[in-house]
Amino acid sequence: MANGQNVEAAVAVPATRVAVRGSWAAREGVQGFLWIGPAFLYLAFFIAYPFIMSIYLSLSNARVGSTEYHFVGLQNYQRLFADPTFWQTVRNSFVFTFGSEIIRLLIGLPLAFSLNRTFKGKRVVQGLILIPFVIPIALSSLAWKWMFDSLYSVINWMLMRVGLIDYPWQWLGEPGLAMWSVIIMNVWRGFPFSAVILLAALTAVPQEIIEAAKIDGAGPLRRFHYVVVPMIRPILFVGLLYSIVFSFTDFSSVWLLTQGGPYNTTHVFGTYAYNIGINAGDIGQGAAITLFIFPFLAAIVIVMLRFLRRE
Amino acid sequence: MTRQRLWRRIRQDYGPYLPLSPYLFVVLFPFYWMLITAFKRDSDLYNLTTAPFWFKEPPTLAHVKLLLEGTLFLTWLQNSLLIGVLVVLITLALALPAAYALARMRFWGSQTLSTGMFLSYLIPPTLLFLPLSQLVRGLGFTDSIWALVAVYPSFTLPFCTWLLMGFVRTVPREIEESAQIDGCTRLQAFRMIILPVIVPGIITAGIFAFTLTYQEYIYALTFVSASANKTISYGVTTDLVRGDVFYWGSLMSGALIGALPVAIVYAFSLDHFIHGLTAGALK
Repeated sequence: MANGQNVEAAVAVPATRVAVRGSWAAREGVQGFLWIGPAFLYLAFFIAYPFIMSIYLSLSNARVGSTEYHFVGLQNYQRLFADPTFWQTVRNSFVFTFGSEIIRLLIGLPLAFSLNRTFKGKRVVQGLILIPFVIPIALSSLAWKWMFDSLYSVINWMLMRVGLIDYPWQWLGEPGLAMWSVIIMNVWRGFPFSAVILLAALTAVPQEIIEAAKIDGAGPLRRFHYVVVPMIRPILFVGLLYSIVFSFTDFSSVWLLTQGGPYNTTHVFGTYAYNIGINAGDIGQGAAITLFIFPFLAAIVIVMLRFLRRE
Repeated sequence: MTRQRLWRRIRQDYGPYLPLSPYLFVVLFPFYWMLITAFKRDSDLYNLTTAPFWFKEPPTLAHVKLLLEGTLFLTWLQNSLLIGVLVVLITLALALPAAYALARMRFWGSQTLSTGMFLSYLIPPTLLFLPLSQLVRGLGFTDSIWALVAVYPSFTLPFCTWLLMGFVRTVPREIEESAQIDGCTRLQAFRMIILPVIVPGIITAGIFAFTLTYQEYIYALTFVSASANKTISYGVTTDLVRGDVFYWGSLMSGALIGALPVAIVYAFSLDHFIHGLTAGALK
């Protein structure tokens, strides 16, 4: 032991950086696993294993409340493909996700510009703007459900008073309108996030470059299109990616507002899977529905990563 | 003052606020509406003949009383806080060494592991709630808050590890190397050099873990059913709707009080929060 220490000390004394790194690095192979092991095992058990389990469940006839199930092949998927509600769910998920996303950006961009300067109370304003994103959506969705109430909707009251509508709208009861209601709430919750990401991107654009463009005679629109956008595009895409994944896999806001109704017009993957898997007790079928989230998400991510790499 | 100068004064003083005011209105109105609903008498609440934006009858505490005495609200609050704190501790205990290893060590598979950490975002709760409901039952956590404590780190851990990796990378390697020359082991260097420097990162990660946990809904809805085991958002959204009747006043007061812990944490850590949000998305 004493010998070993001497040898190490002898190596370390001439201590160039490389040699020093070497002595720690020599053990990294084993040590690395020890450091990351607990997290790795945890994720393997609570993400990877259930993910594989969900593939197996989707090929089985598992039901809530019974511990016995067996392999049934692709039966659940065949039923799903023949199920018009499932296709409606797919369509709804896309409308919900991309509808929300576009509106969020359209609303978030002017906000980010308005916040991208110094003024008194900026911190407070920024803090207030982010509140919808912080407060649990399950709780704030109650406020929206109440504001969309069929009889006592305050939104209807305002719109009628202003003269924009002349009878009370059934925000959560009419097929086309219900999707809009769900999107409106999702936008309300998400645009602060979009704005903060955009703001971070805008702040990263060096002021000198903007000034230079200004001197060269570029107006605000041109400056935005030719100078700002190309510089913030990568950040924009990552932010967008997060927020798309977020919307696409959403469950609670839709569930709490409409439970997928009326007539399944607002069902998204999460709510339909819950309805079939838990409420109807058909876990196998439910698992098949949730698994469809995966290829869509992967496709979205691949497209975006490609785009990013090309940048 | 000429009109032009007056206009310029207005633009100078209020310019930045004008475009922000509609945003603030949209953002804050639902909360104002919650607040006023929570304290209105029912007869006032369901009377739409005049403007509903203020009290026409004296405010009442009846809704809050129903919430506190007619439901297990305080138990839900306690459950949510307990789960939140435990999940933060578990997350940090697992994420800190993992983040350090991924940021600093090179070993077989480390690259794959860090990509895998990032990709676990692609397998969100909505995809896992069905198999996990079977899994936690297998672990013996049927209808128990421990099911949630066990499962919640699965979405806080990847995010927090990713966040902390960024913070570890900002610490110059040279400091660690000189510690090594002085005879420190990795563990000592980690404890005495890295940890103190990345305290802001640890706080940010903790805040995120707590907020994400407190917001979670689908796992709670799936794994728990007894009222005494519910979390705050689950309890408030289910136990105050009886049959077709929505107890709007109590629902709104429950939502408001329930949101308070997150709002307080958030108010005290605004800068950390915004930093984490942008760092998480930008790195």
